[in-house]
Amino acid sequence: MTGVVAQTEADLLEAAKAEAHKDEGFSPSPGGWVGRGALYAFAAVVVLVVPAMREAFEVNIYTQAVVFAIIGLSLNVLLGYVGQISLGHQAFVGIGAFTSAYMVSVQGQSFFVAVAVAMVVGALQALVLGAVSLRIKGLYFALITLSYGLVAEQSIFQIQSLTGGGAGQAAPKPSAFSTDLRYYYLCLAFLGAVIWVDHRMMRTKGGRALLALRENPRVASTFGVNVKVFTLFAFTVSGVFAGLGGALLAHNDTFVVADIYNFRLALVFVIMTVVGGLRSRTGVIVGSAFFALLGFFIEKFHIIEVALSKLPKPLTPQIAPLVVGPLLLLLTLTLYPGGIGQQVRPLLRWLGGHRFDIHDRGEKEVQISDVRA
Amino acid sequence: MDNPQLRRAALFGGISLLTLLIFVLIGQKQALVIGVITGAAYGLLGLGLVLIYKSSGVFNFAQGEFGTVAVYSLYLLHVNGVPYVFAVLGALVVAVLFGLLVERIIVRPLFDAPRVTLLVATAGVSLLAVGVEIWFGEARLRNVDPALPRTDRVSLLGVRISDQRLLLIFVLLVLAAVLAYFFNRTTLGLAILGASQEPTATELVGISVRRLSSFTWGLAALLGGLAGVIGVPAAGNTFGPGIVTSGLLIPAFTAAVLGGFASLPGAFLGGAIVGVSQALATSSDAFDFIPGQAGTVIAFVLLVGVLSIRPNGLLGGKA
Repeated sequence: MTGVVAQTEADLLEAAKAEAHKDEGFSPSPGGWVGRGALYAFAAVVVLVVPAMREAFEVNIYTQAVVFAIIGLSLNVLLGYVGQISLGHQAFVGIGAFTSAYMVSVQGQSFFVAVAVAMVVGALQALVLGAVSLRIKGLYFALITLSYGLVAEQSIFQIQSLTGGGAGQAAPKPSAFSTDLRYYYLCLAFLGAVIWVDHRMMRTKGGRALLALRENPRVASTFGVNVKVFTLFAFTVSGVFAGLGGALLAHNDTFVVADIYNFRLALVFVIMTVVGGLRSRTGVIVGSAFFALLGFFIEKFHIIEVALSKLPKPLTPQIAPLVVGPLLLLLTLTLYPGGIGQQVRPLLRWLGGHRFDIHDRGEKEVQISDVRA
Repeated sequence: MDNPQLRRAALFGGISLLTLLIFVLIGQKQALVIGVITGAAYGLLGLGLVLIYKSSGVFNFAQGEFGTVAVYSLYLLHVNGVPYVFAVLGALVVAVLFGLLVERIIVRPLFDAPRVTLLVATAGVSLLAVGVEIWFGEARLRNVDPALPRTDRVSLLGVRISDQRLLLIFVLLVLAAVLAYFFNRTTLGLAILGASQEPTATELVGISVRRLSSFTWGLAALLGGLAGVIGVPAAGNTFGPGIVTSGLLIPAFTAAVLGGFASLPGAFLGGAIVGVSQALATSSDAFDFIPGQAGTVIAFVLLVGVLSIRPNGLLGGKA
């Protein structure tokens, strides 16, 4: 009897293995490798070479797109890995920006020290607010951060010595990266570091614990995963990324004014992350860059601007993102929950040396999060 | 004092008495009056938030926009010559239709999705509504008349209270009482609560969860619309895109949290506490050490404080 059972189990295991490794042994032909190499080279040219040929003000906007990608990855940690949402990310980013500017302009510290301080400040905020929200089951982090964002806007940003009053605080670029182009490359390097940390985090014990928590907190805690510690860890990582993003934004504009760090920006952050596709690093980066560049592209490509002005009620480049962004968000949530990340997955798999399978949507339907709050 | 409700009532009474005492002691009677009135608007919006939370378990960030859409409709109808009463009714109809539409195309497809998805979706609805308002209405302020224009009839502790504000408080009290009765005593109300806890079981006893969902969102939109058409003219006569979301939504959330999010009268109490604290923060110089708008900071401190000490709210028992 036991023999039969064992055999069946072995069969099942084998079938599962075969399913999991169905394109094991597949290796692209030399032509396939050339094609993949060409696409890699094209991406590298777009990211590394094209900005070098554009004017400084345009590079400045590209840098913003890179920094938005860092901020998007910061929100992805919360929304994608923990299943909590921050509606006050403009506060984390804005306070990071002012902290860094303050450290450089008022305290006379070097750029890298200032960025490190901004990251620590970001971590502390996220840690404290996260600890309070974990007192009660539910999505209270959303409410707390929402309220905190308003506090930042109406109180913290009014502190004269920190923000330099209405005139704003100067945030000079570091001397070694004083041109817009060099600073762009510096931000790219930071984005690379963030991607690496994010990747490593999800590959280590902490990351696996987070995944287990997201799947089922009760089962995870039964297996000895300390729910609070790992959730707080994720909040902290998100805060570090947000602080870094803020500091980089500040020095990109060489000037920080409080006005831009308003609630609308927090919502833009949420939209770009969700539309990008939670838990998909590539998706989040593409989505964030898209929303950072949306207004710029509408102005740059005159056709879009003309088309928008032909609408029954003309849509100017300034307000178009306010309408298009939320629309994309709602379409993503209701129709394509995996966002851009899900759309580009076949391409990414192909680039990784697998077969091109247009129907590949990941192991299972991608969801925003599996946490039931 | 074994009865938990009695104990809660005693606690609540104690806190209120203490608060009252403190105010009278430091001579801030006016802040008390102003605060309760401002808080009424928070409470009215908070009722809708509690309703959706009770039935869907989600913070509805679109609640403020139900109000703003109603205010815009009121303005458009009234400017085009519709008598005020009918304009208000028309505005409420528009708000309810908006609520039903949101339920049908956003909430229902996400019925089985995680709650955080639905939360992001309601924020998206809110943002889209504000975007469309800016698109068609431009980012400028407009004037809307109150239903009751007289402001010199009633005066309490030296503070003049406009008739519109009295109307607001009256509407809030009536609605809180009616809704509390509805949820505790009527079949439909109990069905909504049942559907939020055990949707499958509710279906099994022959209740359509979908129809309940439509009903709840329609009702929430009606409450939001009321908060808009009564609350906005009570606070001041001007409005712009996203007025209710930017002005009332965050304090309303704080009010609902203070009240324990499961309790309808709690929203009223929470609104009053938030309103009084904010009024006190602006009128008293004890809070001058806080940079910028002290009222916002106070609301945040209240929120964090309640969540840290009494996570289920002042009136809330077990969630």
